[in-house]
Amino acid sequence: MRYELLIALRQLRARKFQTLLSVGAIALAVMILTVSHSLLLGVTGEIYNITVDKLPHVSVSPEEGEDYIYLYGTLVGRIGSIEGVTAVSPFLTGQASFRFKDNSLNCELRGVVPSQENEISSIEEDMVEGSFQEIEFSRNTVVIGSKLAEKLEVNPGDSVDVSFPNANLLSLRVVGIFHTGSPLDEVLAYTSLGTAREFYDASNAVNGVSVRLRDFNRDTEVANEIKKLGYNAKGWTETDPAILRFIAIESTSNAVIYGLIVVIASFGVVSTLNLSVISAKGQIGMLRAMGAQVSGIQRIFILQSGILGLLGALFGTFAGVLIALAIGQYEIPADPSDVYGSISFIPIVVRFQDIVFIIFAVFLLNLITGVYPARQAAKLDPVKAISSK
Amino acid sequence: MTDESPVIELKNLTKVYQNGVEFRTLDNANLRIKKGEFVAIVGPSGSGKSTLMHLIGLLDTPSSGTLLIDGKDVTKMSDKERSGMRNRILGFVFQYHHLLPDFTALENVMMPLLIAGKSREKAKDVAEKLLKEVGLEGRMEHRPGELSGGQNQRVAIARALSCSPAIVLGDEPTGNLDTKTGDMIYELLRRLNKEYNQTFIVVTHNEDLASKADIIIRLVDGKITVQ
Repeated sequence: MRYELLIALRQLRARKFQTLLSVGAIALAVMILTVSHSLLLGVTGEIYNITVDKLPHVSVSPEEGEDYIYLYGTLVGRIGSIEGVTAVSPFLTGQASFRFKDNSLNCELRGVVPSQENEISSIEEDMVEGSFQEIEFSRNTVVIGSKLAEKLEVNPGDSVDVSFPNANLLSLRVVGIFHTGSPLDEVLAYTSLGTAREFYDASNAVNGVSVRLRDFNRDTEVANEIKKLGYNAKGWTETDPAILRFIAIESTSNAVIYGLIVVIASFGVVSTLNLSVISAKGQIGMLRAMGAQVSGIQRIFILQSGILGLLGALFGTFAGVLIALAIGQYEIPADPSDVYGSISFIPIVVRFQDIVFIIFAVFLLNLITGVYPARQAAKLDPVKAISSK
Repeated sequence: MTDESPVIELKNLTKVYQNGVEFRTLDNANLRIKKGEFVAIVGPSGSGKSTLMHLIGLLDTPSSGTLLIDGKDVTKMSDKERSGMRNRILGFVFQYHHLLPDFTALENVMMPLLIAGKSREKAKDVAEKLLKEVGLEGRMEHRPGELSGGQNQRVAIARALSCSPAIVLGDEPTGNLDTKTGDMIYELLRRLNKEYNQTFIVVTHNEDLASKADIIIRLVDGKITVQ
């Protein structure tokens, strides 16, 4: 073992109380960091699940200057064969004016193949009344959002009049109501592709295709591949950048706050080591006389700081992971206001590579903060240091 | 190198402190010390004894002049080279022992060898032999806090000798001890000097002890007279 490490370890062991305090302070900070990071990851994951999971990961629209995608059957087949695509749903959508008795509202009327659309948006999970598949089995039927139903004051079984300039007036029977908890509940209604064609007068064409991917992080890549086929395609990161922005801001502010806590704890180590430099002047001078180089003296103190940081990081992440996992066991009591939606446990994600990163970063930080006391020690004039006692 | 060539040679060595007023602690010193000599440096406080010793010990740098150790000009060496020289060629015993309090006597004596990069086993062998030599075979596993002043000073002497230095420097090595213990330490140094034929340079206030040296260097106001 190198003499620097030997001396560093022995001094840490001799100053048991200070060592314990320093390691404890860093461990506490790292623990808070680990727990908050696991919570953030969990919540972020949940946000992705709630939002991105129900979004089309890639949205395809007609070529430049066109209103419709003709021969969409071929396109659906070709997109379906792209690696990583799990579902493809063509749709024909546009604006429609819904009228029931004296109530009238504009919203989006979207014609879809229910089984295919369900794989994109999992709308069946959100049905509160009736069945989503029904729009395929009976002609001139519609499934509408819960807020829309409330405002129109319609119930399943009622027929609504749907019209729009340049569209054919239809009377559609409400066969189901969905509730996603998102603004869609107020502005969206589903019907079959056939009914939509009749309404918009667009035979055998669609004006968009939704694509679902196994890994939603590959959206841009797949979108670019679809563009090569001559269509417009956008990934969800392009169509809904607000989600990413929200998560990025949240993660950054979190990282800054908890990073600062760790920095403060590391500065505690600096002051402890500075004191030990002052109290060990004579020994430092003697080590210099024995032939220890300036760099060797510096290493003794940088090592001490690094070891304290490493121990603090190890204990802190260990405790942090335990606490995070314990929090993850906590069941959220059912809330009638539906504020938590489908979340029943506090979301926690412990990622191994992040834990390794935290340990490594705290170790590195402490090596760096150790430079200051190390410099103080190395700056000592050996002659003066030796005469001090 | 024959025994006649000096192991230490000072040529017009001068050390000036500029602390508001110029103060010559060492003024144009010329001196040759041969291998195996036991040299005592005496003089009143502030006469430059310690400065001379710190210069020879490569702990301080001269303002002008040359210092040759083992025939090499050491005045222009880097920290790394000087540290290496201190480790291999020089051994130190100071007024305060400055033993590392968290290490045993044995480990303290091993330290210069570990700094030199020697293995623990090798260092342990040498340290055990030296601690026996200074009469501390029963105290090897004790820490400085568990030893008396004289015992600690003997550990410090063993430590100074661990890398078989050509030159051993003592700065008031007995200054902190009672007369009886001081005499004993001095006798030990004298015996080791004869046994290993190493050059010893000892700074002391004590004229009695100085009179037993081969050469006495008297310093007054930074000027050297050799007896």
